Amino acid sequence: MTAFVYDHVKVRALLGQLLHNQDQPKAWEWLQKRREIQEKDPSSQQFVLTFTAIPRFTGKQPLLPSSIPAEELASLAPGFFVYDWTLDRLARVWWLLFLPSDDKSFYLQQIENLFNAAEMNELAALYSALPLLAYPEEWITRTAEGIRSNIGPVQEAIMVQNPYPAKWLPEPAWNQLVMKAIFTEKPLQDIQGLRQRANQALANIITDFAHERQAAGRSVNPLQWQLLENFLNETNFQDITRLWHSAYNVEKEAAALVCYHSQYQPAKDLLANAPEILAEVNQGSISWDVISRKINLS
Amino acid sequence: MCGIHDLTEQDLQPLTHSPAWLDKIKGMRFFDPHVHMTSRTTDDYQAMADAGVVAIIEPAFWLGQPRTGVDSFRDYYSSLVGWERFRSSQFGIKHYCTIGLNSKEANNEKLAEAVMEILPQFIYKEGVVGIGEIGFDDQTPLEEKYYRAQLELAKEAGLPVQIHTPHRDKKQGTRRSMDIAIEHGLDPHMVIVDHNNEETVKEVLDRGFWAAFTIYPFTKMGNERMVDIVKQYGSERIMVNSAADWGISDPLAVPKTAALMHESGIDSNDIHLVTYINALKAFAQSGQINEADFGIVIDQSEKFNGSTVLRGGQQPRHNKNTTIIR
Repeated sequence: MTAFVYDHVKVRALLGQLLHNQDQPKAWEWLQKRREIQEKDPSSQQFVLTFTAIPRFTGKQPLLPSSIPAEELASLAPGFFVYDWTLDRLARVWWLLFLPSDDKSFYLQQIENLFNAAEMNELAALYSALPLLAYPEEWITRTAEGIRSNIGPVQEAIMVQNPYPAKWLPEPAWNQLVMKAIFTEKPLQDIQGLRQRANQALANIITDFAHERQAAGRSVNPLQWQLLENFLNETNFQDITRLWHSAYNVEKEAAALVCYHSQYQPAKDLLANAPEILAEVNQGSISWDVISRKINLS
Repeated sequence: MCGIHDLTEQDLQPLTHSPAWLDKIKGMRFFDPHVHMTSRTTDDYQAMADAGVVAIIEPAFWLGQPRTGVDSFRDYYSSLVGWERFRSSQFGIKHYCTIGLNSKEANNEKLAEAVMEILPQFIYKEGVVGIGEIGFDDQTPLEEKYYRAQLELAKEAGLPVQIHTPHRDKKQGTRRSMDIAIEHGLDPHMVIVDHNNEETVKEVLDRGFWAAFTIYPFTKMGNERMVDIVKQYGSERIMVNSAADWGISDPLAVPKTAALMHESGIDSNDIHLVTYINALKAFAQSGQINEADFGIVIDQSEKFNGSTVLRGGQQPRHNKNTTIIR
């Protein structure tokens, strides 16, 4: 039985190749030396020191986009994302895959120790590595803890383009992640599994939250309404009709999309009143991704 | 964090009232190599950024309340390389720190031993630019023991040392600190002797150490006295800091001192040396400082898809001169 839920040897080799392709021969050479020492004579102290020292030897330049073996990565580790990473983060995640995993309690303790003494960029690397760590079911509490962090790059590492939370978090922790992402203005479209993990409890929280913002005279992110698509009812449909009549295009478009994807009859009726909007949704000129781009530009 | 908001250009503009001294130093950049931001508010960060402070060093110190367990130290060190670093970055101020066991708490031997054990976990972290602040408070045998142990650690790691000199029996304490550093084979050029005054500065400079001055009301240096020091000793190996902390202190001490020096006719180049360059040179010996990171709201590695935490990474400004809070 293996501790990994994917082919970690292949992914490790692929990440190694990606590191190699960055055209940083000195960094690559240093990493190779560390790897040889680790494979020959694994020591906890050396493992931790290397993890910490990585940026000193690799630098922090962004990865060359053309170097990323996107298709192979997608088939070996679905959803795992390295775009816009810096070299030090990639090297750290790659390095974590050399930690011996046969002894479960040893492995868990080593990773926990790294978390407990981590500085900001180390934390971001550790959370980015969640989808590749062994014993994935063991990192649920740690992830929920990370969501409570107030450090922007740490929140992003967990919330943005990371497949781990949607796959493993129980509903309350998932809902907390989504709400925290809304509060801290993360790009919601980049949360993996956002629509798939929508649920009634979250839909209720979202609606209450919108009312609070409204009472305070503050607006809400129109993208949050997609979480209501499958959970419309008599009460929250009033919010959708309010949006439908909004003076802001993005709000009106959000209302149209919720109606379009919903099975709730009054929502279908509402959209049927405006065939020109329905046509735009069908053509794809109104979509959640389009709204996302619009609000990022404004 | 403020949560989501609709920021307008107005929310991001500096407040209209700006003190006259700020004009004198307009466009200058400052490096405050000793300031305890953990004890300060976001108002201070904002004011420092407005006054041109682009980088700071936060030495590990005594929090005012003695710690009783090693985990308190661990969490404190973690916050210096984690939360505080992020808080600072939101205001465009590059945050570094020095890590060490302060002299006061070195007197709790059992705890000191445990702290010494965890120090190696932290001194190699990114942005750790030295061992500090260490040295003497009461000049007890235990203070000496852990001062020596940490000098060895600094030597091994190739890191600069930031020495806190005592308030009481200062002249002797400063001399003794330097003697011991030499005894352990440290190059004076790797040692920053802090909290100097008129009585200590000559020997510190003569022996080749860096001399730091803390501009701190009532108990340490005033900046008028600092002007005289620079007039007398010049700008070589001299640096000023605020050491602002939980006491009555001033996080704008470095830019204010630069303004006063300017008013007193000190050459701009000398001002630049004592309020920026010298600190940079001394601590860059750690290999952990990249000047290109200064004054940038968030560094490359913290960026994701080009988006920052708030628009442009800037914090919205709250106008304190009105009774209205929105």
